[in-house]
Amino acid sequence: MQGTPFLEARNIGKRYGGLHAVRDVNLSIYPGEVIGIVGDNGAGKSTFIKMLAGDHQPTSGELLIEGSPVRFAHPRDAKQAQIETIYQDLALCENLSVMDNIFLGHELTRNPVLRLLQRTKMHTESRVLLDDLGIGIPSTHELVVNLSGGQRQATALARVAKAGAKLIILDEPSAALGVRETRALLDLILRFRTQGKSILVISHEMRDVFEITDRIAIFKRGELIAIKRTKETTPDEIVSLIIRGRQ
Amino acid sequence: MTQSVTQTDRNAGGFNLFRFARSQEGVVVFLLVALMIIVAVFSTASPYFFDVRNGMNIGRAISIIGIASAFTTLLMIAGGLDLSIGAVMNAAGVVAAIVLSETSLGIGGAIAAAVAVGALVGWVNGMFIAKLGINPLIMTIAMQFIVRGLTLGLAASASKVIVDPMFLAIGQSYFHIGPLSIPAPLLWMLLAMLVLWFVLRFTLFGKYVYAVGGKASACRRAGINVNVITIQLYMLSGIGAALAGVVLAAIQGAGIPYGAGSELSVISAVILGGVSLAGGVGLIEGTLIAVLLVGVLKNGMTLMGISSVFQMVAEGLVLVGAVTLDRLKRRL
Repeated sequence: MQGTPFLEARNIGKRYGGLHAVRDVNLSIYPGEVIGIVGDNGAGKSTFIKMLAGDHQPTSGELLIEGSPVRFAHPRDAKQAQIETIYQDLALCENLSVMDNIFLGHELTRNPVLRLLQRTKMHTESRVLLDDLGIGIPSTHELVVNLSGGQRQATALARVAKAGAKLIILDEPSAALGVRETRALLDLILRFRTQGKSILVISHEMRDVFEITDRIAIFKRGELIAIKRTKETTPDEIVSLIIRGRQ
Repeated sequence: MTQSVTQTDRNAGGFNLFRFARSQEGVVVFLLVALMIIVAVFSTASPYFFDVRNGMNIGRAISIIGIASAFTTLLMIAGGLDLSIGAVMNAAGVVAAIVLSETSLGIGGAIAAAVAVGALVGWVNGMFIAKLGINPLIMTIAMQFIVRGLTLGLAASASKVIVDPMFLAIGQSYFHIGPLSIPAPLLWMLLAMLVLWFVLRFTLFGKYVYAVGGKASACRRAGINVNVITIQLYMLSGIGAALAGVVLAAIQGAGIPYGAGSELSVISAVILGGVSLAGGVGLIEGTLIAVLLVGVLKNGMTLMGISSVFQMVAEGLVLVGAVTLDRLKRRL
């Protein structure tokens, strides 16, 4: 990869008291690149991406977006920098409709004082978006509490697709999905890549990781111990790195 | 393709009795039916019950609880809880009375001062709860003590008599519409509920009330400033209590610094109306009917000569019955 990375993490670290959850991570993500993040439980993967998403604040190091330093004090700041995240728990309001969740935080309103919701318009746009993504949700009026795991995932994906992000972060996206739904998700990630978006995906599924990623970052005990080109490595090598920390 | 999508859409939106019974609209319909049954029973039991004048008596009796309930409904939908309501009501009445007697600011100044007290208490509650993560129950009970103490100190433990006829009119006048004489407090309550119904149903703020009650962490991650919304909702609850306190002082002709707080009646009405303590669900319509239901029940029992001691027991039983049904309906 050459040119300016969309996002660069320089010596990023996170301490909780005496515990180093993440230590001195250096990672650059280029436009149109898919990076897989792998590692055992507690390796610091989730903490690392939460810092990129503005959900946690790093205690050391710096983040650069397209070459300029940034500080994310709130998830809102990361969104403004066009970083969208799908969390493991999907971060959906189950008491609200599919449409409400797709537009959460980006609602269409008219009248700047009263800020009246434009429901019909949002339902229409949600429908178009879901059809365009090939996502099977019968009605945008349906409450998320009544949806299946795959449909919930789809709702979260539609929200991200709508936001038009440059970097999409996914935390174990296929954990709750069936075979067919996983396939649709992988296709969608590849489609995002062809649109020039950067994608960071945490996954335990080696087969998925090898199918969609360009590079694989291996975390162990809070450190980024290796970055491998997907084409130049094997699942065995990656698993060995995850478990033993070396080949 | 478009055709088939519309078709599934219609099916998904089709009427499903079980799903409706579980929905927040279902609760409102259920309460309405219960209310009509109670009205029918009392109408046959007492000749004085089903009468316009008695209806207006009920309306005035419920208005104080109704005004405070309407405002705190929003807070509770968002998962909050405010136990300082009763103390704020008393404080607002005393402050209004003092402004009327000691200054020349008039009614406007008195109401503004009372509302400012409610907003300030709500702001303090909201700041501690949102920014420091203090449990709402603990924080607002603490505020209840603080506000009650300050109010007693301010009033030197005596009622502050109000003589301004214009101010008294807020609580004691009637609006004549055709043959109806509507007590002013009832009108204020209906007005408050109408405004808040609109806010909940049509505005972005209303949507965020439900969203924060559904999952606050998801809202934060969606870029919504949850802390600001929480603080605004505690302020609204405080303002609602203060407005109820102003109307109460106008009815009583005095700002009374002591007396049991009515926060538990307010909160139980909101819960009876279908708001879950866990947040995320509820409607102003539900609160309105719940407040009416409790008012009708008390009035009907009084007309039938049932002692006020048993009336308290009945109010408690109704609440227990309502939350029990709420649990059971989830098994539908």
